[in-house]
Amino acid sequence: MAEKDEDSLIGFDPLAWMHRSDFNQDSQRDDVDKLESHAASAFVSENAEVPGQAMNHDEEPTIASESFPSEQGERAILVLEPVLNIQNVALLHQRLTQMLSNFEAIDIDASGVMMIDTATLQLLLILKQTAIGLQKSISIDFPSDKFIEASELLGIAEMLEVDQVASGFF
Amino acid sequence: MSARIVAVLNQKGGVGKTTTSVNLTHALAKLGKKITVIDFDPQSHLAVSLGVVDPQKSGIDRVLLEGVSLAQQLISVRKNLNLVVAGPRLQEIEQLMDGGARSGDLLRKALLDGHRDEDFIFIDCPPSSGVLVANALFAADEILVPMTSDYLALQGLSHLMGTIKKFESALKRPYKISLVMSRYIPTRRISKEVLSVIQKYFPGQILATTIRETALLAECPSFGKTIFEYRPGCRSARDFTALAKDFLEGRMM
Ligand SMILES: Nc1ncnc2c1ncn2[C@@H]1O[C@H](COP(=O)(O)OP(=O)(O)O)[C@@H](O)[C@H]1O
Ligand SMILES: [Mg+2]
Repeated sequence: MAEKDEDSLIGFDPLAWMHRSDFNQDSQRDDVDKLESHAASAFVSENAEVPGQAMNHDEEPTIASESFPSEQGERAILVLEPVLNIQNVALLHQRLTQMLSNFEAIDIDASGVMMIDTATLQLLLILKQTAIGLQKSISIDFPSDKFIEASELLGIAEMLEVDQVASGFF
Repeated sequence: MSARIVAVLNQKGGVGKTTTSVNLTHALAKLGKKITVIDFDPQSHLAVSLGVVDPQKSGIDRVLLEGVSLAQQLISVRKNLNLVVAGPRLQEIEQLMDGGARSGDLLRKALLDGHRDEDFIFIDCPPSSGVLVANALFAADEILVPMTSDYLALQGLSHLMGTIKKFESALKRPYKISLVMSRYIPTRRISKEVLSVIQKYFPGQILATTIRETALLAECPSFGKTIFEYRPGCRSARDFTALAKDFLEGRMM
């Protein structure tokens, strides 16, 4: 069974012999594509107007975080939301400052970021530097392509330690 | 009660068989399961990763070559976790071509005897498809295939499935096969595409949690520590705990 998607990175499918019947695998894929194109168009948009549906932050924008009083009570993990903009930067600031005072190290999971604006990136940069001053650390794990792209555009990828070299294989 | 025998298998090297064997078994042991893990690779990376480094120490090699009982070769390495090292002579088995059919059945027989009380026996297979892997396949009830998400790994998986199907028809029994996405790099587009191809062929057989590529996982073997000892609570430790739960509860993608 040949891949029809012209954009696919998979040429010849070596598992095709396993069965011939077609599976309905495309629904998920479509979702991903939709998300990606959506994010691409909205990418680093400075104008606060963000296209509707995907984000539904009527009230308080939530920023998922889990603190891990990991065995020594010193590491915390913060999972970034897909869309980060000026509207939730204050909350993120508050969150991170609080975590920074309670923990030695913060791992920020940036794998799900589809759109991030300059305000958020600057916040992350400042906090990362603040952390260094406090002999603590903030590291950005699994930055998504969008995250890397945006920080490169702003010229701070290296300072955030998310440049391609660093993120490719960690 | 008889143990579930799980072969951690993929003839491709570097896909995460040993990393999975070390950290999944430790995660299961921490969840209270009794585990024996067999280092079935003459390179002994599993033992090293668990902090056991004596290259002269005998293990599964003597069980297979001299009929020593498995129980005699168990080393308690962590709470609930026993290790059987490869031993310096394991490589000889790979050369045992003349023994014909019988040389493939050594491990299965060795695991039959004795009344041990493990919940699981894991076999960390070597990256080959010779006599050792035949032994693992004869012995195993289940196969756990660590998979990386690159194109050549798909190619390898195709080859592996061909081998497994041959064994299934020779032994007249199907294996329970599950896959674990290991060394996953979520930021690469090819990762998602490979995963979606695998999902198409193995619906309901890919463990729900993916193990991501992290520096910490690459670092811990050199200290003889599992991820739970090297950096407790880190993301990779949590990945493996979640994977262990998936494994026990049959939670698939
Ligand atoms: N998820 C991961 N993140 C980072 N490094 C990994 C990961 N899984 C495996 N590695 C590293 O990749 C190499 C090969 O992994 P290993 O488990 O030994 O593969 P195999 O047993 O299949 O040959 C080792 O150096 C290991 O530390
Ligand atoms: Mg190995």
